[in-house]
Amino acid sequence: MTTPAKPADVHRTWRAGRVLLALTSVFAAIAVCGVVWLAVDLYAVGVAAGRLQGETVPWTIERQRLGRNLEQLRLEGQRVLTASSPAGRQDALFLVHVLSAQPGMADDPRTASLAAEVERFLQQVEAPATPADMQVWEALSSRLRLMADDLSVEGGKRMGRELGRMSGEMAQASYKLLFNLALMAGFMAAFLLVVRRYLIRPLQRIRRVLSALDPRGPVPAFPPGPMAEIRAVEDAIVRFHATLLENDEVRLRLERLATTDGLTGLFNRHHFMALAADEMARAARYGRPITVGIADLDHFKQVNDTLGHAAGDHVLKTFAMLLGDTLRQTDRVCRYGGEEFAFVLPETTPEEAQLLGERLRTRLLESPPVLPDGRHLSVTFSLGLADASGCGLEESLARADLGLYEAKRAGRNRTVVTRRPDGL
Amino acid sequence: MAKTIFRCWSVFLLLAVVGLAHGAERVLKVGVIHHSPPMSYVDASGGLTGFNVEVMRELCKELAARCETVVLTLDRVVDAVAAGEVDFAAVSLLVTPERRARLLLTKPYYRSISVWFARPGVKPGEARVAVVKGGIQARYAQARGWAQLPFDNHEAIFGALATGQAQATLLPMANAVALQQDPRMSAQGLASTVVQDPELAGDAALGVNPRDRALLDKLNDAIDEIKRDGRFDRINTRFIPFRLQ
Repeated sequence: MTTPAKPADVHRTWRAGRVLLALTSVFAAIAVCGVVWLAVDLYAVGVAAGRLQGETVPWTIERQRLGRNLEQLRLEGQRVLTASSPAGRQDALFLVHVLSAQPGMADDPRTASLAAEVERFLQQVEAPATPADMQVWEALSSRLRLMADDLSVEGGKRMGRELGRMSGEMAQASYKLLFNLALMAGFMAAFLLVVRRYLIRPLQRIRRVLSALDPRGPVPAFPPGPMAEIRAVEDAIVRFHATLLENDEVRLRLERLATTDGLTGLFNRHHFMALAADEMARAARYGRPITVGIADLDHFKQVNDTLGHAAGDHVLKTFAMLLGDTLRQTDRVCRYGGEEFAFVLPETTPEEAQLLGERLRTRLLESPPVLPDGRHLSVTFSLGLADASGCGLEESLARADLGLYEAKRAGRNRTVVTRRPDGL
Repeated sequence: MAKTIFRCWSVFLLLAVVGLAHGAERVLKVGVIHHSPPMSYVDASGGLTGFNVEVMRELCKELAARCETVVLTLDRVVDAVAAGEVDFAAVSLLVTPERRARLLLTKPYYRSISVWFARPGVKPGEARVAVVKGGIQARYAQARGWAQLPFDNHEAIFGALATGQAQATLLPMANAVALQQDPRMSAQGLASTVVQDPELAGDAALGVNPRDRALLDKLNDAIDEIKRDGRFDRINTRFIPFRLQ
């Protein structure tokens, strides 16, 4: 079982608005995720900074105070052992007791035990201190100093550790920020690419096609794109081109109907008169020779009467074709009426026109009209010519008509050139 | 129309005045006690000074407030703060549930212990103990049924000990240091003992008007700040021979 193949020109399309909305939504979702992802680190940095400010810094200061009190304990102990008076010793011992009992001292087991040890020692030493006492004291004093040193740096160490962690979190946040920026830049680039490829470029193509749209040119072709709106415009352009072509063909048909004779395809008399007038004017303007003529098929009525109008029409068409083949491109000819044909021959003297007429006569003799049943018809024509140089068209045609009349009167199948009244 | 404009201007001016008043320096009434060296006393030049007084001044600077002192005795401090007679008291109050119930208390700015002073051979309960009225030590003595010799302030106790009027006393740590250093005491041969009892030791805090929680928050921040920037330690060094913790 096979799935029927889809037609080749069917392509899935999407509305641009929806595509852009979808892209924007995806971008917004990604951006929100990125921001949340980043915010986690920023929050952690904030928490760490808060902890540093609210806990570690006070803790560090307290450590330093504790170290300072240990140092004070050492000094007071020294004073206990070296006091010159019982009162002085008493004062110092009092402070030793107070310092040892301080809650801060008791917080840290190390300082609590050392302070208690110092207090016990100083309590039991009797004045004056012996060298052995002093030796013990030196050891205790040294331990007090070292512990004070340790406490002083503990805060710094803890701050260092926390700052290190915070820097790590900030670095991570920076990387995430960079990643987010890169992601956004990438998405923007992709967005612009999509807009450029699927909207701007098709629009540019549409503009090019529209500016060069020619009904006689090829049908506009567009590569299938995914955007529905663009496709709609492109389809409309194709339909528009078809309409233009159709209108142009109608126009040509109407023009042909208005200017030509329906049977022979030659110009009609009205159009011929306009063309001839132009040729006459041009010839007059440049002082060039020009000749007009009127030809009439001999005994054409007999053809119609004996062989029928279809045969007559066939004769007319055959003669018209012969005229088209024989006359030059610059010559104008029309069906003047019935079986009469009028000519205007630019750059042609009556003599040359006469030669042309004879050539036409010869060709008609050589290629007579052949009826559908195979019969050959012997057809001749009479031709009146008149020099139209420097004359009006109507007047020239009247003279040519006069020549035609003469030709008919003289026995037909001949050419008569009517001279101008002035003898030229 | 003119009336509306006038009303608008009136409201604007009122708001402006309120805004200016709000932005102006706040005046705080601060309860202080006298005659309690080294925490709060009048020095040789006649000026009020001491650890708590100087801390109070730094806190007021930090709060950008002008502080006016109101002199109290220790036994009046809690009532005065609770009644709102003062905004806060620059007096070290050992934190107790009773005080916490009546006042707002700042975060502890140090911890205190108590010291027993007595003539040789005099043990707690054997002689009338000199205490400051309203202090935690007075309550402690009372709770144990000790005969008390109550005073308004610590200097009075020092005097009574110097003259032999009193045989023993129970003092907060800082006042004990001052007593020990008092030249009059050298001839007395007083013996001192740190009393290791949780009732006499613990957090010391400042009492704040219970209706002004905003002030409490600001004071807490200010305490943190002066501890961080060293002002607290400098005051400590001036008045007490070791670090309060």
